[in-house]
Order: sequence, then structure tokens, then C-alpha cells
Amino acid sequence: MDFKIRAAKQEDCKEISRMIIELAVFEKMQDQVKISTQELERDGFCSNPLFECQVAEVSEEQKSSQGYTVVGYVLYYYTYSTWMGLTVFMEDLYVMPEYRGKGIGKGLMSKVAQVGKEKQCTRLQLAVLDWNTRSLDFYIMKGARDMTASEGWHALRFDGEALDKLAAEAPKD
Amino acid sequence: MANFILRKAEPNDVSDILRMIKELAKYEEMEEQVILTEKELLEDGFGDHPFYHCFVGEVPKEKQSSEGFTVVAFAMYYFTYDPWIGKLLYLEDFYVMEEFRGFGMGSHILRLLSETAVKTRCSSMHFIVAENNTPSIEFYKRRGASDLSSEEGWRLFAIDKEDLKKMTTPK
Repeated sequence: MDFKIRAAKQEDCKEISRMIIELAVFEKMQDQVKISTQELERDGFCSNPLFECQVAEVSEEQKSSQGYTVVGYVLYYYTYSTWMGLTVFMEDLYVMPEYRGKGIGKGLMSKVAQVGKEKQCTRLQLAVLDWNTRSLDFYIMKGARDMTASEGWHALRFDGEALDKLAAEAPKD
Repeated sequence: MANFILRKAEPNDVSDILRMIKELAKYEEMEEQVILTEKELLEDGFGDHPFYHCFVGEVPKEKQSSEGFTVVAFAMYYFTYDPWIGKLLYLEDFYVMEEFRGFGMGSHILRLLSETAVKTRCSSMHFIVAENNTPSIEFYKRRGASDLSSEEGWRLFAIDKEDLKKMTTPK
């Protein structure tokens, strides 16, 4: 199958939004998706974008059963390690089920590795759910190390009420 | 302890920041992994396009550390993106020198960070902690943090330079 990996344009946000929801459904967390196409456009295509995105596109003849030609995406951003400097964090990687097994996922991830290399990133990081065996195998085959297992790193979060409460107690200027 | 101030880091602070990065790495038993230099910290944080932001905690000269330091705490953060909820504040490093702990500086820094998160339209503040770092985990949980690794099963993965290079080389 022929496919093209290219940088996302603002017009792609509608398709990216659709696929974000598809991925959330797969991760059994669709009720947690709160942002829309408009926010993606604002946050990814402003003067200081908060993320970058690459999409996988197939020709009209190979479009999906529902008529889509944008069939995969990878969303990533740059982070900073106090140990080694600039790193790239791969936030979402997704290929529609009917297009899997054709090298699209690998193509999207290689593009991020290439972009990261151009920016002299020392590392690529990502997070995977522990029950997602297929993805775990895919990444481990590419040399990914499980930092949670080997070094005990846990991801923590302050959000909603906890964040507001903490902020309300901040020292006044 | 009488007083301390929290302020935005300035270019002159990079030497103290790197010193404390190494102290924190030593506490995490990973000191040899710090390869970042003062020059990189300066370019990356105080150039045209900063990759990180930093607050420092400073005490007056009379309260300096046993080795003569007045910059005694720091917190480094940047903005990340969750495609479900949007902009997030990511706390990369958060450290108070041992002799200055227990006086409320850590709590103040955390509150300042969360105020920054709210002011800059972030839905959440994320960070990672090593599971054997019980004092830190308790500090965060007391203040309402959730452990996404335990509660939702998220595991952090890293792919290092050599394997990244392999991915970019066409077969």
C-alpha cells in the first residue's frame, strides 16, 4: 500500500480530532476527551505551537470504508531533561485499524525520530498503558526501555479541584 | 528560618541550578547521568526560544548554606500537550537543599507552580517520581496528586540516541 507521511496542516485538525477520539475509545477513556478541532487548531498552529503533528495519507482509491484518506497521526512536543537537555516526547501514535500492518506506524515514528535528530534531541520518550501488549511489543522491538519497570518512575498529576486548591494557596505578590 | 524569596531564575543562576540538578540526581542515585553543561542550560533557558522555565528559592546572606550558597532551591518546568485536555504544565525538577527543608519552601514553590499553571490556561500539572522516593510521593499525595501509573497503568518508556538513529536510517 502506498502512503505518504507529511507534516499536518491546520486543515487536518478535523481528521486528527476524529482519530484522537478513536484512540481514546481504544484506550477505554473516551469520556476524558474534552478538547475539539478549534482548540487543536489554536494550540498547534499559532506562533508558539504547543505541539507538532505528522499525518499518514493514502490516495483516494485507498480511502477508508467511511471515505477518509488521512489514516494515521503522530502528535509530539519537545521536553527538557535536566540530565541531557532537549528531548522529544511522543504523545500520541495512531493508525486506523484497517491500515495496520503496512508500515504506517513505523513510518510515523521514524519521522518523529528524524525530526528529533535534526533538532539534536538526545532521547525520545513516550507513555504506554500496561495492558496494551501489542504496542508494548512494537516499542520494545525498536529499543524502547520501560523506565517504570527498570527505574520505578511513576507519572503523577494535579488536576481539577486539586490544582485549583493548590493555586488558591499560592503566596501573594 | 526567617525568610526566603521565590523568583524567576536569571542567566546568572545557571551555575547554582546545575549544582542543584547534580545534587538532586545524586539523591535519585543517578548522578552519572547528568551530562548537561552550564552553557547548554544558559542557551536553552535564556535564548530566543526557551525550552524550559525556572523558579529559584533564595535566602539572605546571613542564612547562606554551610558552603556559602544563597540560591538553595529550584523548580524547572515547561509546557506540554494532552490531545484530550490541551495545555499542561510539566514539572521536570523540583528540589530544596537538605539543610533548608521543613521550612515551607517546597510547599510555597509547589503553590507558585500551580498558580502559574492556572494563569497560563493549563488543565493539569504533571510530573514523574521514582516509586522508592516515599517522602516525595507522600508530599504530593497529601496535596491531592493522583498516581497515573498505579491508577491507570501508564508506563514511561525511553528510546535513546543509538536506537533513534537506527529508526531514521532507511533500510
